[in-house]
Amino acid sequence: MDGTLDTWFKREVLSHEAALMRYLRRVWPARDEVEDLRQEVYIRAYEAARRSRPAAVRPFLLTIARNLMADRQRRARIVSIEAVSDPDALNILVEEVSPERRVGAWQDLKRAIRALNQLPPKCREVVWLKRVEELPIKEIADRLRISVRTAENQVFRGMQALCATLFSDEQAHFESEHRPDQTATERQHGE
Amino acid sequence: MESNRRMLEDSATAWLQQREVGPWSESDQAQLSKWLDDSTANRVTFLRLEAAWEEAGRLKALAPRFPPHTVPTPEQLRLTPATAADLVRPKNFMMSRRRWALAASLLLVVGGAGVGYWQFIGQSYRTPLGGLTSVPLKDGSSVTLNTATRIRVYMTQTQRHIELTRGEAFFDVAKDPGRPFTVTAGDKTITAIGTAFSVRRNGASLEITVTAGKVKIERDGPDSPNSAVLTAGTMAYAGPTGVTVRQKPPAEIEDTLSWRTGYLSFHDTALPGVIAEFNRYNEPEIVVEDPAVNAIQLTGKFRSTNVDALVRLLEKSFRVSARRDGNKILLSAQVPVSE
Repeated sequence: MDGTLDTWFKREVLSHEAALMRYLRRVWPARDEVEDLRQEVYIRAYEAARRSRPAAVRPFLLTIARNLMADRQRRARIVSIEAVSDPDALNILVEEVSPERRVGAWQDLKRAIRALNQLPPKCREVVWLKRVEELPIKEIADRLRISVRTAENQVFRGMQALCATLFSDEQAHFESEHRPDQTATERQHGE
Repeated sequence: MESNRRMLEDSATAWLQQREVGPWSESDQAQLSKWLDDSTANRVTFLRLEAAWEEAGRLKALAPRFPPHTVPTPEQLRLTPATAADLVRPKNFMMSRRRWALAASLLLVVGGAGVGYWQFIGQSYRTPLGGLTSVPLKDGSSVTLNTATRIRVYMTQTQRHIELTRGEAFFDVAKDPGRPFTVTAGDKTITAIGTAFSVRRNGASLEITVTAGKVKIERDGPDSPNSAVLTAGTMAYAGPTGVTVRQKPPAEIEDTLSWRTGYLSFHDTALPGVIAEFNRYNEPEIVVEDPAVNAIQLTGKFRSTNVDALVRLLEKSFRVSARRDGNKILLSAQVPVSE
């Protein structure tokens, strides 16, 4: 519905996914539940932002994550409240309140390259021809001598695999501490 | 719970895949919108997939390095300063230069033979690189010439005719049903019907933007006499093979024509597009030395002749380093790019 809220979510929230996942993995004992938690954090974050958008996104996300884990533990009646008592977990929170560490445009490009290169060969070819060359699926299928159905399935798989690797790309976060704005308006027109 | 999330991811992927691969109708779009509104879980799942797909679109910046429709190997995609050098120019640059020259000389020959009659009464106007001039015509119309543009104006009792030899011009046409207003560029003729429109010539192809009234474009030649009528708010690309017409939102039309006031407007325009525009107006020429900077997108309004402002912005806000080399400004990433 709200185009700008969607954009906010994609730009501001997803760029913290690696940090969020790191935090969840560190604190939550059941590894196979971490992606569900991430999903739940995103839902709560989106709904909260509908009412008012937070100034600092990372602490906002990590707070939601912490509350969510506390809720779940209470419900599950787990006695050892690791999430709340683990001093390391709290340290992470403090450390990551620091100014957003984001990366530059070419770091984003390199991240996209890494994500592409991680795809299985056939899937990688299909994704390149679809996403970069924007060829019709029929033409992709013909070129690679596969059926249209197979090509479509590879697009499907590629979309999920890109998603899985892109946002949790740890390397991107350590490469640079500053990301300039993607857009800028020149205000001085003087010579 | 977990299988629930997976199923949701599959549904969201199916939507995205269907939209990207097609076919995709308005009713599909309506159904997707409804599905997104059904629950926040649907929405965030879809947005995450869509964002990843959009991010992958950054790879388009690398496409000019490779022949069309070939998939580069993982090694070929590594960005290192050494491999960056070959990105300075697209590979087909020499090709397009030669084709341009060919088109121009052909035009001279054809022009000399066909429009000979006009030669005696025509009046020429031209602008230098970076120039911008408005020329009032005797009939009350006006022509605004953009950078490096050349036109010839022929006014008779029965016709108003303009020949666009090179560059780009905007025409504000005074109504005069008895005297058609035509513009020729290469083998194409544009006839105005109470109109304001611009024509931009790139070698043999044209870009026509119509802001008011109607315009008819025709192509000469016995084998392919094709024509199209363009209405206000459309842009047409006329290439060697045909004409593509697109309806554009007013803001985009406005941006396209912002050169008339001496400005260039960009909306999330990738750097190569921005540089190509600036290079139309200025010397020294800006050249990308490091492919990594091609991923930068700019939004904003710039004075078309103020290269320094652009370079300063890139240096300050995008960590691009610029250095002067003879008649060129070379751009590269400030941080050495390597895997």
